[in-house]
Amino acid sequence: MAPAGPRSGDAIFASVERVNAELFTLTYGAIVRQLLTDLEEVDEVNKQLDQMGYNIGIRLVDEFLAKSNVSRCVDFKETAEVIAKVGFKMFLGVGASVTNWDAEGTCCSIVLEDNPLVDFVELPDTCQGLYYCNVLSGVIRGALEMVSVPSCASLSLVFSSSS
Amino acid sequence: MIVCVAVVGHQNNPLYIQSFTEADDALKLHHIVHCSLDVVDERVNNPKKSGPTLNETFLGLLYPTENYKVYGYLTNTKVKFILVTTDLDVRDVDVRNFFRRFHAAYVDAVSNPFHVPGKKITSRTFAERVSNIVKSFGLSST
Repeated sequence: MAPAGPRSGDAIFASVERVNAELFTLTYGAIVRQLLTDLEEVDEVNKQLDQMGYNIGIRLVDEFLAKSNVSRCVDFKETAEVIAKVGFKMFLGVGASVTNWDAEGTCCSIVLEDNPLVDFVELPDTCQGLYYCNVLSGVIRGALEMVSVPSCASLSLVFSSSS
Repeated sequence: MIVCVAVVGHQNNPLYIQSFTEADDALKLHHIVHCSLDVVDERVNNPKKSGPTLNETFLGLLYPTENYKVYGYLTNTKVKFILVTTDLDVRDVDVRNFFRRFHAAYVDAVSNPFHVPGKKITSRTFAERVSNIVKSFGLSST
């Protein structure tokens, strides 16, 4: 039997079990709020979110490779494309695009058009340095580390409406 | 012309008051809103016995005073929306529409994890959406 080719993010997303988007958003919001209450320092919260994302990422990458069947990526550019097109689509259900490549091809930006984590969220003035979606950069960092791509993912939020 | 909208919490604490006139009688509007809360309580505690109320949320015209009309809307968490308007010929369906959209904006504002329930609503998005709804209220009723 011929091995199955790589599946598109849409196809996988349609075949897995899904959860209500509002429940997901509100749960994540509650986590961030609780971290802020417990740790009080915005930098600490950022670090914790990154660590949480890292723990998710090291486990998530196996499921990603099992379900999506992508072949080995030859270079970092292809890796970034796969993360944006297949990975985000498969787990968050939203498309992402890769932009802003630097000269050596080692640094890029992944832009999410429509981030379900930040529905309804408006950062108050007391939390301006908060990287609300830092868990996502932790996930990417953890996942890449498990496939032997040492990386450093950091978050740069571009909110169109609020703050 | 909508003059003022207000959101009042279940303990009759103000959560959001916004007036849309240039005149500086904000105090009078606050007073009107405050008085209308009594009417709301009265309506809630003594439901009219004229048949089952299908939509218990929309309270309708609370009371007309001088040149204002005051409409009320009650959510299931006892949060009240008050609308003060100077229009003389306001259609019931327009007001219901207004409150439906206002309720949707309120729900989105409250879903913000940084909003503390019971405190004032400080969301700028909510304020913008409310002014949009208010602006389109006048246009649709022609």
